Amino acid sequence: MSSDAPVYLDYAATSPVDPRVAAAMHECLTRDGVFGNPASMHFFGSVARARVERARGQVAALIRAPAPQVVWTSGATESNNLAILGTARAMSKRGRHIVTSRTEHKSVLDPCRRIEQEGFQVSFLDTDRDGLIAPEQVRAALRDDTVLVSIMHANNEIGVLQPIEAIADVCQGRGVPLHVDAAQSAGKVEIDVARVKCELMSFTAHKLYGPKGIGALYFSAARRASLQPLIYGGGHERGLRSGTLPVHQIVGFGLACEIAAQARADDAAQCQRLRARLWAGLSRIEGAMLNGHPTQRVASILNISFPGVEGESLLMGLTELAVSTGSACNSDSHEPSYVLRALGRSTELAQSSLRFSVGRFSTDEDVDVAIAAVTREVKRLRAAAA
Amino acid sequence: VNLDPLGAQVRRLFERLTHAGDGLAHGGEPSALLTVHGEAGREQRGTRVRFTLKFHEGELVEARYHAYGCPHTLAVCEWLAGALEAGHLPSIGGPAHWCRTLDVPIVKLGRLLVVEDALRAALNAAALKAAEAAKNVVK
Repeated sequence: MSSDAPVYLDYAATSPVDPRVAAAMHECLTRDGVFGNPASMHFFGSVARARVERARGQVAALIRAPAPQVVWTSGATESNNLAILGTARAMSKRGRHIVTSRTEHKSVLDPCRRIEQEGFQVSFLDTDRDGLIAPEQVRAALRDDTVLVSIMHANNEIGVLQPIEAIADVCQGRGVPLHVDAAQSAGKVEIDVARVKCELMSFTAHKLYGPKGIGALYFSAARRASLQPLIYGGGHERGLRSGTLPVHQIVGFGLACEIAAQARADDAAQCQRLRARLWAGLSRIEGAMLNGHPTQRVASILNISFPGVEGESLLMGLTELAVSTGSACNSDSHEPSYVLRALGRSTELAQSSLRFSVGRFSTDEDVDVAIAAVTREVKRLRAAAA
Repeated sequence: VNLDPLGAQVRRLFERLTHAGDGLAHGGEPSALLTVHGEAGREQRGTRVRFTLKFHEGELVEARYHAYGCPHTLAVCEWLAGALEAGHLPSIGGPAHWCRTLDVPIVKLGRLLVVEDALRAALNAAALKAAEAAKNVVK
Protein backbone atom coordinates (compact mmCIF):
# COMPACT_ATOMS: atom_id res chain seq x y z
CA MET A 1 0.00 0.00 0.00
CA SER A 2 1.31 3.48 -0.83
CA SER A 3 2.62 5.65 1.96
CA ASP A 4 -0.21 8.16 1.46
CA ALA A 5 -2.88 5.51 2.09
CA PRO A 6 -5.14 6.33 5.03
CA VAL A 7 -4.32 5.08 8.50
CA TYR A 8 -6.11 1.77 8.95
CA LEU A 9 -8.13 1.59 12.16
CA ASP A 10 -10.78 -0.87 11.00
CA TYR A 11 -9.36 -4.20 12.16
CA ALA A 12 -12.80 -5.30 13.34
CA ALA A 13 -13.94 -5.22 9.70
CA THR A 14 -10.98 -7.24 8.54
CA SER A 15 -7.27 -7.52 9.13
CA PRO A 16 -4.37 -7.69 6.70
CA VAL A 17 -2.97 -11.18 6.22
CA ASP A 18 0.15 -11.72 8.28
CA PRO A 19 3.12 -12.01 5.89
CA ARG A 20 4.02 -15.41 7.38
CA VAL A 21 0.47 -16.58 6.66
CA ALA A 22 0.61 -15.25 3.12
CA ALA A 23 3.85 -17.14 2.50
CA ALA A 24 2.36 -20.38 3.79
CA MET A 25 -0.70 -19.92 1.60
CA HIS A 26 1.43 -19.28 -1.45
CA GLU A 27 3.08 -22.65 -0.96
CA CYS A 28 -0.30 -24.28 -1.50
CA LEU A 29 -1.12 -22.73 -4.84
CA THR A 30 1.48 -23.57 -7.44
CA ARG A 31 2.65 -26.72 -9.19
CA ASP A 32 5.67 -27.13 -6.94
CA GLY A 33 3.55 -26.70 -3.83
CA VAL A 34 0.64 -28.37 -2.04
CA PHE A 35 -1.95 -27.80 -4.74
CA GLY A 36 -3.72 -31.18 -4.60
CA ASN A 37 -7.35 -31.83 -3.82
CA PRO A 38 -7.50 -33.21 -0.27
CA ALA A 39 -10.26 -35.60 -1.37
CA SER A 40 -7.97 -37.25 -3.94
CA MET A 41 -6.43 -40.59 -3.02
CA HIS A 42 -3.10 -40.06 -4.78
CA PHE A 43 0.10 -38.54 -3.45
CA PHE A 44 -0.87 -34.91 -4.08
CA GLY A 45 -4.22 -35.41 -2.38
CA SER A 46 -2.60 -37.09 0.60
CA VAL A 47 -0.12 -34.26 1.05
CA ALA A 48 -2.91 -31.70 0.86
CA ARG A 49 -5.05 -33.72 3.26
CA ALA A 50 -2.21 -33.83 5.77
CA ARG A 51 -1.86 -30.05 5.60
CA VAL A 52 -5.61 -29.61 6.04
CA GLU A 53 -5.63 -31.84 9.11
CA ARG A 54 -2.61 -30.09 10.57
CA ALA A 55 -4.44 -26.79 10.12
CA ARG A 56 -7.55 -28.25 11.72
CA GLY A 57 -5.46 -29.02 14.77
CA GLN A 58 -4.04 -25.49 14.83
CA VAL A 59 -7.51 -23.95 14.59
CA ALA A 60 -8.97 -26.30 17.20
CA ALA A 61 -6.07 -25.54 19.55
CA LEU A 62 -6.97 -21.85 19.55
CA ILE A 63 -10.15 -22.69 21.43
CA ARG A 64 -8.76 -25.86 23.03
CA ALA A 65 -11.15 -28.10 21.14
CA PRO A 66 -10.53 -31.59 19.77
CA ALA A 67 -9.59 -31.25 16.09
CA PRO A 68 -12.31 -33.63 14.79
CA GLN A 69 -14.92 -31.27 16.23
CA VAL A 70 -14.07 -28.43 13.87
CA VAL A 71 -15.71 -28.14 10.45
CA TRP A 72 -14.50 -25.76 7.75
CA THR A 73 -16.86 -23.14 6.40
CA SER A 74 -16.52 -20.08 4.19
CA GLY A 75 -16.44 -17.76 7.20
CA ALA A 76 -18.33 -16.78 10.32
CA THR A 77 -21.47 -15.97 8.37
CA GLU A 78 -21.74 -19.52 7.11
CA SER A 79 -20.76 -20.90 10.50
CA ASN A 80 -23.54 -18.91 12.15
CA ASN A 81 -26.03 -20.05 9.53
CA LEU A 82 -24.98 -23.67 9.94
CA ALA A 83 -25.18 -23.47 13.72
CA ILE A 84 -28.62 -21.86 13.80
CA LEU A 85 -30.41 -23.30 10.79
CA GLY A 86 -28.62 -26.64 11.10
CA THR A 87 -29.54 -27.07 14.76
CA ALA A 88 -33.06 -25.73 14.48
CA ARG A 89 -33.99 -27.89 11.51
CA ALA A 90 -32.43 -30.99 13.02
CA MET A 91 -34.22 -30.47 16.34
CA SER A 92 -37.55 -29.21 15.06
CA LYS A 93 -39.37 -32.25 16.41
CA ARG A 94 -38.11 -31.55 19.91
CA GLY A 95 -38.94 -27.87 19.96
CA ARG A 96 -39.29 -24.71 17.93
CA HIS A 97 -37.94 -21.93 20.07
CA ILE A 98 -34.60 -20.07 19.90
CA VAL A 99 -33.15 -17.39 22.17
CA THR A 100 -30.77 -14.72 20.93
CA SER A 101 -30.13 -11.01 21.48
CA ARG A 102 -30.94 -7.84 19.57
CA THR A 103 -27.29 -6.88 19.24
CA GLU A 104 -26.11 -9.98 17.41
CA HIS A 105 -24.43 -9.73 14.02
CA LYS A 106 -26.74 -9.86 11.02
CA SER A 107 -25.40 -13.32 10.23
CA VAL A 108 -27.17 -14.49 13.38
CA LEU A 109 -30.23 -12.25 13.21
CA ASP A 110 -31.05 -13.04 9.59
CA PRO A 111 -30.98 -16.86 10.02
CA CYS A 112 -33.18 -16.34 13.08
CA ARG A 113 -35.61 -14.35 10.95
CA ARG A 114 -35.45 -17.10 8.35
CA ILE A 115 -36.20 -19.83 10.85
CA GLU A 116 -39.19 -17.82 12.08
CA GLN A 117 -40.62 -18.22 8.60
CA GLU A 118 -40.25 -21.98 9.06
CA GLY A 119 -42.51 -21.90 12.10
CA PHE A 120 -40.02 -21.26 14.90
CA GLN A 121 -40.38 -18.63 17.58
CA VAL A 122 -37.34 -16.52 18.42
CA SER A 123 -36.90 -14.51 21.61
CA PHE A 124 -34.68 -11.47 21.01
CA LEU A 125 -33.20 -10.36 24.35
CA ASP A 126 -32.60 -6.71 25.13
CA THR A 127 -29.23 -5.62 26.46
CA ASP A 128 -28.63 -3.16 29.24
CA ARG A 129 -27.31 0.33 28.42
CA ASP A 130 -23.77 -1.04 28.37
CA GLY A 131 -24.66 -3.69 25.82
CA LEU A 132 -24.60 -6.63 28.21
CA ILE A 133 -26.93 -9.61 28.51
CA ALA A 134 -27.45 -10.93 32.02
CA PRO A 135 -27.47 -14.72 32.46
CA GLU A 136 -30.75 -14.30 34.34
CA GLN A 137 -32.31 -12.89 31.18
CA VAL A 138 -31.35 -16.03 29.31
CA ARG A 139 -32.69 -18.20 32.12
CA ALA A 140 -36.00 -16.35 32.06
CA ALA A 141 -36.29 -16.70 28.29
CA LEU A 142 -35.71 -20.47 28.19
CA ARG A 143 -38.76 -22.63 27.57
CA ASP A 144 -39.37 -26.34 27.46
CA ASP A 145 -39.30 -26.17 23.68
CA THR A 146 -36.10 -24.07 23.40
CA VAL A 147 -33.64 -25.87 21.13
CA LEU A 148 -30.86 -23.28 20.89
CA VAL A 149 -29.44 -20.16 22.51
CA SER A 150 -27.17 -18.02 20.33
CA ILE A 151 -25.22 -15.21 22.00
CA MET A 152 -22.15 -13.55 20.59
CA HIS A 153 -18.92 -13.33 22.58
CA ALA A 154 -17.58 -9.89 21.52
CA ASN A 155 -19.88 -7.45 19.82
CA ASN A 156 -18.60 -6.37 16.42
CA GLU A 157 -19.70 -2.74 16.77
CA ILE A 158 -18.98 -1.88 20.38
CA GLY A 159 -16.60 -4.63 21.46
CA VAL A 160 -18.51 -5.58 24.61
CA LEU A 161 -17.78 -9.09 25.89
CA GLN A 162 -20.81 -11.03 27.02
CA PRO A 163 -20.58 -13.19 30.16
CA ILE A 164 -20.51 -16.32 28.05
CA GLU A 165 -19.38 -18.73 30.74
CA ALA A 166 -22.24 -17.79 33.04
CA ILE A 167 -24.72 -17.93 30.15
CA ALA A 168 -23.35 -21.35 29.19
CA ASP A 169 -23.90 -22.56 32.75
CA VAL A 170 -27.53 -21.49 32.54
CA CYS A 171 -27.99 -23.26 29.23
CA GLN A 172 -26.25 -26.41 30.35
CA GLY A 173 -28.39 -26.51 33.46
CA ARG A 174 -31.47 -26.64 31.27
CA GLY A 175 -29.97 -28.96 28.66
CA VAL A 176 -30.16 -26.34 25.90
CA PRO A 177 -27.20 -26.01 23.50
CA LEU A 178 -25.42 -22.64 23.37
CA HIS A 179 -23.97 -21.26 20.15
CA VAL A 180 -21.36 -18.52 20.49
CA ASP A 181 -20.36 -16.25 17.62
CA ALA A 182 -16.72 -15.68 18.45
CA ALA A 183 -15.73 -13.94 15.21
CA GLN A 184 -14.51 -10.85 17.06
CA SER A 185 -12.97 -12.56 20.07
CA ALA A 186 -11.19 -15.67 18.79
CA GLY A 187 -7.47 -15.03 18.87
CA LYS A 188 -7.98 -11.88 20.92
CA VAL A 189 -9.13 -13.33 24.22
CA GLU A 190 -8.41 -16.75 25.64
CA ILE A 191 -11.14 -19.24 24.83
CA ASP A 192 -11.43 -22.76 26.18
CA VAL A 193 -14.57 -24.53 24.97
CA ALA A 194 -14.25 -27.08 27.75
CA ARG A 195 -14.53 -24.29 30.30
CA VAL A 196 -17.07 -22.19 28.41
CA LYS A 197 -19.25 -25.27 27.89
CA CYS A 198 -20.76 -24.01 24.69
CA GLU A 199 -21.77 -26.59 22.15
CA LEU A 200 -21.24 -24.54 19.01
CA MET A 201 -18.77 -21.75 18.27
CA SER A 202 -18.24 -19.77 15.07
CA PHE A 203 -15.07 -18.06 14.04
CA THR A 204 -13.30 -16.78 10.97
CA ALA A 205 -9.77 -16.30 9.67
CA HIS A 206 -9.81 -12.78 8.33
CA LYS A 207 -10.34 -11.12 11.72
CA LEU A 208 -7.14 -12.66 13.04
CA TYR A 209 -4.67 -11.91 10.22
CA GLY A 210 -5.71 -14.86 8.09
CA PRO A 211 -7.34 -14.91 4.66
CA LYS A 212 -10.93 -14.04 3.77
CA GLY A 213 -13.24 -16.84 2.66
CA ILE A 214 -12.45 -19.40 5.34
CA GLY A 215 -13.97 -19.97 8.74
CA ALA A 216 -14.85 -22.76 11.08
CA LEU A 217 -17.59 -24.05 13.31
CA TYR A 218 -16.76 -25.93 16.46
CA PHE A 219 -19.37 -28.44 17.63
CA SER A 220 -19.42 -30.55 20.75
CA ALA A 221 -19.44 -34.32 20.48
CA ALA A 222 -23.08 -34.34 21.52
CA ARG A 223 -24.05 -31.74 18.94
CA ARG A 224 -22.77 -33.53 15.83
CA ALA A 225 -25.81 -35.78 15.63
CA SER A 226 -28.18 -32.82 15.73
CA LEU A 227 -26.66 -30.60 13.09
CA GLN A 228 -28.23 -30.62 9.67
CA PRO A 229 -25.93 -29.53 6.82
CA LEU A 230 -26.77 -26.54 4.62
CA ILE A 231 -24.65 -27.57 1.63
CA TYR A 232 -24.82 -30.94 -0.08
CA GLY A 233 -22.71 -32.47 -2.79
CA GLY A 234 -19.93 -34.93 -2.06
CA GLY A 235 -20.20 -35.44 1.66
CA HIS A 236 -17.00 -33.61 2.52
CA GLU A 237 -16.31 -32.74 6.14
CA ARG A 238 -18.07 -35.90 7.30
CA GLY A 239 -21.20 -34.82 5.51
CA LEU A 240 -21.49 -31.53 7.38
CA ARG A 241 -20.24 -29.24 4.64
CA SER A 242 -19.76 -30.46 1.11
CA GLY A 243 -17.37 -28.81 -1.32
CA THR A 244 -13.70 -29.05 -2.29
CA LEU A 245 -11.58 -27.76 0.55
CA PRO A 246 -9.58 -24.60 -0.21
CA VAL A 247 -6.22 -25.85 1.04
CA HIS A 248 -4.39 -22.54 0.80
CA GLN A 249 -7.04 -20.76 2.84
CA ILE A 250 -7.22 -23.53 5.40
CA VAL A 251 -3.45 -23.62 5.78
CA GLY A 252 -3.47 -19.84 6.16
CA PHE A 253 -6.23 -20.02 8.75
CA GLY A 254 -4.33 -22.67 10.69
CA LEU A 255 -1.11 -20.68 10.81
CA ALA A 256 -2.99 -17.48 11.65
CA CYS A 257 -4.53 -19.26 14.64
CA GLU A 258 -1.17 -20.60 15.77
CA ILE A 259 0.39 -17.13 15.55
CA ALA A 260 -2.62 -15.60 17.30
CA ALA A 261 -2.27 -18.04 20.18
CA GLN A 262 1.43 -17.22 20.54
CA ALA A 263 1.01 -13.46 20.16
CA ARG A 264 -2.29 -13.06 22.01
CA ALA A 265 -0.90 -11.57 25.22
CA ASP A 266 1.36 -9.13 23.39
CA ASP A 267 -1.32 -8.21 20.85
CA ALA A 268 -3.89 -7.62 23.57
CA ALA A 269 -1.52 -5.48 25.63
CA GLN A 270 -0.64 -3.36 22.62
CA CYS A 271 -4.27 -2.97 21.56
CA GLN A 272 -5.30 -2.04 25.07
CA ARG A 273 -2.59 0.59 25.28
CA LEU A 274 -3.44 2.07 21.88
CA ARG A 275 -7.16 2.05 22.61
CA ALA A 276 -6.53 3.86 25.91
CA ARG A 277 -4.39 6.45 24.10
CA LEU A 278 -7.12 6.91 21.49
CA TRP A 279 -9.86 7.33 24.08
CA ALA A 280 -7.71 9.71 26.13
CA GLY A 281 -7.39 11.93 23.05
CA LEU A 282 -10.93 11.66 21.73
CA SER A 283 -12.63 11.99 25.11
CA ARG A 284 -11.35 15.57 25.16
CA ILE A 285 -13.84 16.40 22.40
CA GLU A 286 -16.86 17.99 24.03
CA GLY A 287 -19.72 15.54 24.46
CA ALA A 288 -17.79 12.48 23.20
CA MET A 289 -19.54 9.42 24.57
CA LEU A 290 -18.17 5.89 24.85
CA ASN A 291 -20.59 3.22 23.65
CA GLY A 292 -20.56 -0.09 25.49
CA HIS A 293 -19.29 -1.26 28.84
CA PRO A 294 -16.09 0.61 29.80
CA THR A 295 -14.11 -2.44 30.91
CA GLN A 296 -15.91 -5.64 29.91
CA ARG A 297 -14.76 -5.53 26.29
CA VAL A 298 -12.15 -6.71 23.81
CA ALA A 299 -9.01 -4.62 23.75
CA SER A 300 -9.23 -3.63 20.11
CA ILE A 301 -12.60 -1.90 19.62
CA LEU A 302 -13.65 1.61 20.61
CA ASN A 303 -17.05 3.00 19.62
CA ILE A 304 -17.73 6.67 20.29
CA SER A 305 -20.67 8.98 19.61
CA PHE A 306 -19.99 12.62 18.79
CA PRO A 307 -23.24 14.52 19.39
CA GLY A 308 -24.16 17.13 16.80
CA VAL A 309 -22.20 15.52 13.98
CA GLU A 310 -23.67 13.38 11.23
CA GLY A 311 -21.84 10.06 10.91
CA GLU A 312 -21.37 9.85 7.17
CA SER A 313 -20.05 13.39 6.94
CA LEU A 314 -17.66 12.66 9.77
CA LEU A 315 -16.50 9.49 8.09
CA MET A 316 -16.07 11.14 4.69
CA GLY A 317 -14.26 14.09 6.22
CA LEU A 318 -11.67 11.83 7.77
CA THR A 319 -9.75 11.31 4.55
CA GLU A 320 -6.60 10.29 6.38
CA LEU A 321 -8.40 7.53 8.30
CA ALA A 322 -10.10 4.22 7.54
CA VAL A 323 -12.71 3.66 10.26
CA SER A 324 -16.35 2.55 10.33
CA THR A 325 -19.64 4.16 11.13
CA GLY A 326 -22.56 2.21 12.44
CA SER A 327 -25.02 3.88 10.14
CA ALA A 328 -25.94 2.92 6.60
CA CYS A 329 -24.13 5.56 4.56
CA ASN A 330 -25.78 4.95 1.23
CA SER A 331 -29.28 4.65 2.54
CA ASP A 332 -31.74 7.41 1.91
CA SER A 333 -33.51 6.42 5.11
CA HIS A 334 -30.17 6.63 6.93
CA GLU A 335 -30.90 3.81 9.32
CA PRO A 336 -28.88 4.26 12.49
CA SER A 337 -26.94 1.36 14.01
CA TYR A 338 -29.40 -1.15 15.45
CA VAL A 339 -26.79 -2.12 18.03
CA LEU A 340 -26.49 1.41 19.39
CA ARG A 341 -30.26 1.86 19.24
CA ALA A 342 -30.60 -1.37 21.27
CA LEU A 343 -28.35 0.21 23.91
CA GLY A 344 -30.87 3.03 24.19
CA ARG A 345 -28.87 5.59 22.25
CA SER A 346 -31.01 8.15 20.42
CA THR A 347 -31.18 8.06 16.64
CA GLU A 348 -28.98 11.16 16.44
CA LEU A 349 -26.33 9.68 18.73
CA ALA A 350 -26.42 6.39 16.89
CA GLN A 351 -25.92 8.27 13.63
CA SER A 352 -23.00 10.22 15.02
CA SER A 353 -20.92 7.24 16.06
CA LEU A 354 -17.61 5.92 14.80
CA ARG A 355 -16.03 2.55 15.41
CA PHE A 356 -12.25 2.53 15.75
CA SER A 357 -10.51 -0.82 15.90
CA VAL A 358 -6.79 -1.17 16.38
CA GLY A 359 -4.71 -4.23 15.63
CA ARG A 360 -1.32 -5.89 15.53
CA PHE A 361 0.12 -3.43 13.04
CA SER A 362 -1.30 -0.23 14.59
CA THR A 363 1.11 2.34 16.02
CA ASP A 364 1.11 5.34 18.35
CA GLU A 365 1.47 7.56 15.28
CA ASP A 366 -1.68 6.03 13.77
CA VAL A 367 -3.61 6.84 16.91
CA ASP A 368 -2.28 10.41 17.04
CA VAL A 369 -3.30 10.97 13.41
CA ALA A 370 -6.78 9.73 14.30
CA ILE A 371 -7.10 12.03 17.31
CA ALA A 372 -6.05 15.08 15.32
CA ALA A 373 -8.30 14.28 12.36
CA VAL A 374 -11.42 13.52 14.37
CA THR A 375 -10.97 16.59 16.56
CA ARG A 376 -10.65 18.78 13.46
CA GLU A 377 -13.66 17.30 11.64
CA VAL A 378 -16.00 17.30 14.62
CA LYS A 379 -15.22 20.99 15.15
CA ARG A 380 -15.74 21.81 11.46
CA LEU A 381 -19.00 19.89 11.09
CA ARG A 382 -20.41 21.19 14.36
CA ALA A 383 -19.71 24.72 13.17
CA ALA A 384 -21.55 24.00 9.91
CA ALA A 385 -24.52 22.48 11.72
CA ALA A 386 -24.82 24.85 14.67
CA VAL B 1 -10.61 4.51 -10.97
CA ASN B 2 -12.08 7.06 -8.58
CA LEU B 3 -11.73 5.58 -5.09
CA ASP B 4 -13.62 8.43 -3.45
CA PRO B 5 -17.30 7.55 -2.98
CA LEU B 6 -18.15 11.25 -2.98
CA GLY B 7 -17.05 12.20 -6.48
CA ALA B 8 -14.81 15.13 -7.31
CA GLN B 9 -17.34 17.98 -7.22
CA VAL B 10 -19.02 16.93 -4.02
CA ARG B 11 -15.64 16.35 -2.41
CA ARG B 12 -14.40 19.82 -3.39
CA LEU B 13 -17.52 21.54 -2.04
CA PHE B 14 -17.73 19.38 1.09
CA GLU B 15 -14.15 20.16 2.07
CA ARG B 16 -14.59 23.93 1.75
CA LEU B 17 -17.84 24.91 3.40
CA THR B 18 -17.12 28.63 3.01
CA HIS B 19 -20.79 29.66 3.14
CA ALA B 20 -21.60 27.69 6.29
CA GLY B 21 -22.45 29.83 9.28
CA ASP B 22 -24.22 33.09 9.88
CA GLY B 23 -22.10 35.26 7.67
CA LEU B 24 -21.18 38.87 8.18
CA ALA B 25 -23.46 41.86 7.87
CA HIS B 26 -23.24 42.90 4.26
CA GLY B 27 -22.41 46.46 3.23
CA GLY B 28 -24.88 49.27 3.71
CA GLU B 29 -26.99 50.17 6.68
CA PRO B 30 -28.17 47.08 8.57
CA SER B 31 -31.67 48.50 8.47
CA ALA B 32 -31.50 48.45 4.70
CA LEU B 33 -30.86 44.69 4.69
CA LEU B 34 -33.73 42.29 4.47
CA THR B 35 -32.78 39.05 6.24
CA VAL B 36 -34.91 35.93 5.91
CA HIS B 37 -34.54 32.34 7.08
CA GLY B 38 -35.89 29.07 5.83
CA GLU B 39 -35.56 25.78 7.66
CA ALA B 40 -36.49 22.16 7.00
CA GLY B 41 -35.73 18.67 8.29
CA ARG B 42 -34.77 17.24 11.66
CA GLU B 43 -31.58 15.76 13.00
CA GLN B 44 -33.53 12.69 14.08
CA ARG B 45 -34.24 12.06 10.40
CA GLY B 46 -30.62 12.63 9.44
CA THR B 47 -30.95 16.00 7.71
CA ARG B 48 -31.59 19.54 8.93
CA VAL B 49 -30.95 22.65 6.83
CA ARG B 50 -31.42 26.34 7.55
CA PHE B 51 -30.76 28.98 4.92
CA THR B 52 -30.23 32.64 5.75
CA LEU B 53 -30.59 35.03 2.81
CA LYS B 54 -29.81 38.73 2.95
CA PHE B 55 -31.23 41.16 0.41
CA HIS B 56 -30.25 44.74 -0.24
CA GLU B 57 -32.68 46.85 -2.25
CA GLY B 58 -34.30 43.72 -3.57
CA GLU B 59 -31.06 42.04 -4.57
CA LEU B 60 -29.74 38.95 -2.87
CA VAL B 61 -26.33 39.90 -1.49
CA GLU B 62 -25.51 37.08 0.87
CA ALA B 63 -26.50 33.42 1.25
CA ARG B 64 -25.50 31.37 4.25
CA TYR B 65 -26.62 28.08 5.69
CA HIS B 66 -26.39 25.76 8.66
CA ALA B 67 -26.68 22.11 7.76
CA TYR B 68 -26.59 18.81 9.59
CA GLY B 69 -26.50 15.98 7.11
CA CYS B 70 -24.54 13.77 4.79
CA PRO B 71 -21.66 15.11 2.68
CA HIS B 72 -23.92 15.44 -0.36
CA THR B 73 -26.36 17.57 1.60
CA LEU B 74 -23.59 19.87 2.77
CA ALA B 75 -22.04 20.05 -0.69
CA VAL B 76 -25.35 20.98 -2.31
CA CYS B 77 -25.98 23.68 0.33
CA GLU B 78 -22.52 25.09 -0.33
CA TRP B 79 -23.06 25.04 -4.09
CA LEU B 80 -26.49 26.67 -3.79
CA ALA B 81 -25.21 29.44 -1.54
CA GLY B 82 -22.45 30.24 -3.99
CA ALA B 83 -24.82 30.14 -6.96
CA LEU B 84 -27.34 32.40 -5.21
CA GLU B 85 -24.67 34.97 -4.40
CA ALA B 86 -23.51 34.83 -8.01
CA GLY B 87 -27.00 35.84 -9.12
CA HIS B 88 -28.08 32.46 -10.49
CA LEU B 89 -31.34 32.26 -8.59
CA PRO B 90 -33.53 32.14 -11.73
CA SER B 91 -31.70 29.06 -13.01
CA ILE B 92 -31.08 27.36 -9.70
CA GLY B 93 -33.34 24.39 -10.55
CA GLY B 94 -34.38 21.65 -8.14
CA PRO B 95 -33.06 18.45 -6.56
CA ALA B 96 -33.03 16.41 -9.75
CA HIS B 97 -31.00 19.12 -11.46
CA TRP B 98 -28.63 19.34 -8.49
CA CYS B 99 -28.13 15.57 -8.59
CA ARG B 100 -27.20 15.73 -12.26
CA THR B 101 -25.00 18.80 -11.94
CA LEU B 102 -23.00 17.63 -8.95
CA ASP B 103 -23.11 13.90 -9.68
CA VAL B 104 -25.02 13.14 -6.48
CA PRO B 105 -26.35 9.54 -6.26
CA ILE B 106 -30.08 9.32 -6.80
CA VAL B 107 -30.52 7.62 -3.39
CA LYS B 108 -29.72 11.00 -1.88
CA LEU B 109 -32.67 12.68 -3.57
CA GLY B 110 -34.74 12.50 -0.38
CA ARG B 111 -32.14 14.53 1.47
CA LEU B 112 -31.95 17.09 -1.29
CA LEU B 113 -35.71 17.54 -1.00
CA VAL B 114 -35.04 18.77 2.52
CA VAL B 115 -32.52 21.26 1.13
CA GLU B 116 -35.10 22.40 -1.41
CA ASP B 117 -37.74 22.81 1.30
CA ALA B 118 -35.40 24.99 3.35
CA LEU B 119 -34.46 27.13 0.36
CA ARG B 120 -38.09 27.50 -0.71
CA ALA B 121 -39.05 28.50 2.81
CA ALA B 122 -36.40 31.22 2.78
CA LEU B 123 -37.40 32.48 -0.67
CA ASN B 124 -41.09 32.46 0.29
CA ALA B 125 -40.25 34.43 3.43
CA ALA B 126 -38.36 36.94 1.28
CA ALA B 127 -41.29 37.27 -1.13
CA LEU B 128 -43.69 37.75 1.76
CA LYS B 129 -41.54 40.42 3.35
CA ALA B 130 -41.12 42.18 0.03
CA ALA B 131 -44.88 42.16 -0.50
CA GLU B 132 -45.43 43.56 3.00
CA ALA B 133 -42.88 46.29 2.35
CA ALA B 134 -44.58 47.19 -0.94
CA LYS B 135 -47.94 47.30 0.81
CA ASN B 136 -46.54 49.68 3.42
CA VAL B 137 -45.18 51.97 0.70
CA VAL B 138 -48.62 52.06 -0.98
CA LYS B 139 -50.25 52.97 2.31
